[in-house]
Amino acid sequence: MTHSLRYAVMIVLLLFFTLPTLWMLGTAFKPAGEYVGTGLSLLPNAPTLEHFISLWQQGVGQRLVNTLVVALGTTALSLTLAFLAAYALVRFRFPAQLDRMFLLLVLVVKMLPPIVVAIPMYRILRSLNGLDSLPGLMLSYQVYTLPFCIWMLLGFVRQIPVDLEEAATLEGAGLFRRLTRVVLPLAAPGLVATLIFAMLLAWNEFLFALLFIQTPSNFTLPLFIATFATENQTYWGELMAIGVISSLPVLILAGYLQRHLLRGFAMQSH
Amino acid sequence: MFRSGWQPALLLAPALLLLALLTLYPIAYSFVLAFTDAEYQSDALTFVGWANFNTLLNDWFFQQATWNTVRFTVSASVVQVGLGLLLALLFARPFPRRQWLLPLFIYPMMLSTLVCASIWKAWMHFDFGWLNNLFDAVGLSRQPWLSDPALALWSIVLVDTWQWTPMAFLILLAGLQGIPQDIEEAATLEGATPWQQFWHIRLPLLRPYLFLALLLRSIDTFKLFDKVYVLTGGGPAFATETLSLMAYKQGFKFFNLGAASAIAVIMLVIALVLSLAYAWQVMRRPT
Repeated sequence: MTHSLRYAVMIVLLLFFTLPTLWMLGTAFKPAGEYVGTGLSLLPNAPTLEHFISLWQQGVGQRLVNTLVVALGTTALSLTLAFLAAYALVRFRFPAQLDRMFLLLVLVVKMLPPIVVAIPMYRILRSLNGLDSLPGLMLSYQVYTLPFCIWMLLGFVRQIPVDLEEAATLEGAGLFRRLTRVVLPLAAPGLVATLIFAMLLAWNEFLFALLFIQTPSNFTLPLFIATFATENQTYWGELMAIGVISSLPVLILAGYLQRHLLRGFAMQSH
Repeated sequence: MFRSGWQPALLLAPALLLLALLTLYPIAYSFVLAFTDAEYQSDALTFVGWANFNTLLNDWFFQQATWNTVRFTVSASVVQVGLGLLLALLFARPFPRRQWLLPLFIYPMMLSTLVCASIWKAWMHFDFGWLNNLFDAVGLSRQPWLSDPALALWSIVLVDTWQWTPMAFLILLAGLQGIPQDIEEAATLEGATPWQQFWHIRLPLLRPYLFLALLLRSIDTFKLFDKVYVLTGGGPAFATETLSLMAYKQGFKFFNLGAASAIAVIMLVIALVLSLAYAWQVMRRPT
């Protein structure tokens, strides 16, 4: 490709991938009169916070807290179980290829369409009194986050040299001491990265929230967005304002996330 | 490696038990329900054999949903991998501000699908949508993006492409960066044109990555639910109804648990084939 063609293609693609988000950022601060129209302006002429104030009055704070609680709870449980499992898979030999069978299960679950387990999951949650409750939602989200965390941590735990642990064993350290004093500190960067991605999964999840949560005061942000988005009205100011609120973590972390994703795919394919 | 004993089993057990409770048991239960006429909260199950499957396979709505899902899965995956390859080739060589630009092409895949769908639903509004305003400004006619049965599915492909091309892009970029520099330098010294280099060196070396990207995107596009739910609700005239959406409506709107489970079982089998192909690809290396 010639130099100028490269530039032209790059600019078109850059516009395609960034304009919608710029429009969201702008519209969140536009008065209604500005975005209902046939103009192409992205930025507000007379910026206003009215949509954010209106959202606040409709309880966006509660939904934000719900989403954060669910994301944290989901991730805490997944990360703990996944760390133990990943460590066992890396450091121990299992009979009859049980470790490979387990990994296969993890991969298959990771790929499963969630609607496939939705009906039985509804029953499980009902029998545990977990319907329409945040802890119930956290439990159901393990379907997504647990396989994801195991798979991602596996890569990180594999890179920890075994020598330090062997030295600790010679000094009489048992499994628990090795895990907490030797492995955990060395795995910390990997745990942080896994934590962020798992929280993002839970933060953005929609299907199970739609199925298992009914009471508006238990809504997560994606559910709250859906109540606005599925009405065929042009309440775009409010809609985009929630969009901004719910995307802030991602927009701030984009650079960090992209570096980890790239490294992850590089490790995965060969 | 450490001495085996009860320790490894103990470490693995919590994760295994939870996965079994949340996936193996539900899958088994879906298989049972698929052969019954279960309805909401009726605990007495009557087995009806293959009746649910027979009804489905002859059902116009199911055929339509399957056809939509297949068209969506194939076209969205191919378009995203193609566009991702183009981006990866643009980004494979260092250029000024590369590190600064890269995140701008990646972040859509990290946004909530609900946010993506909301933005694009507004953009595709017939009278005031930004997309139609742009079409107007450059002299094209306004398009009924989401209300024309012939166009709606492709509009959803467009939205999915916006959100998920970044993933194909990252996989292929990882692949391109893994190609040793000296191979390309040697080819340049031998007088290979850029096109020959692409066709005879990069493309063959990229093949496993292209396969991986296509597979991961197909597995994901096959599940399509959130976007349709927000953008069209399956309409107009079932033109964007997908298998996930149909299973959702059967199970949670009409409470035909038997029919919904039969759809789930069919989806499970298809997803299983795709994910085993993926597992085969990533588990070939020694663990």
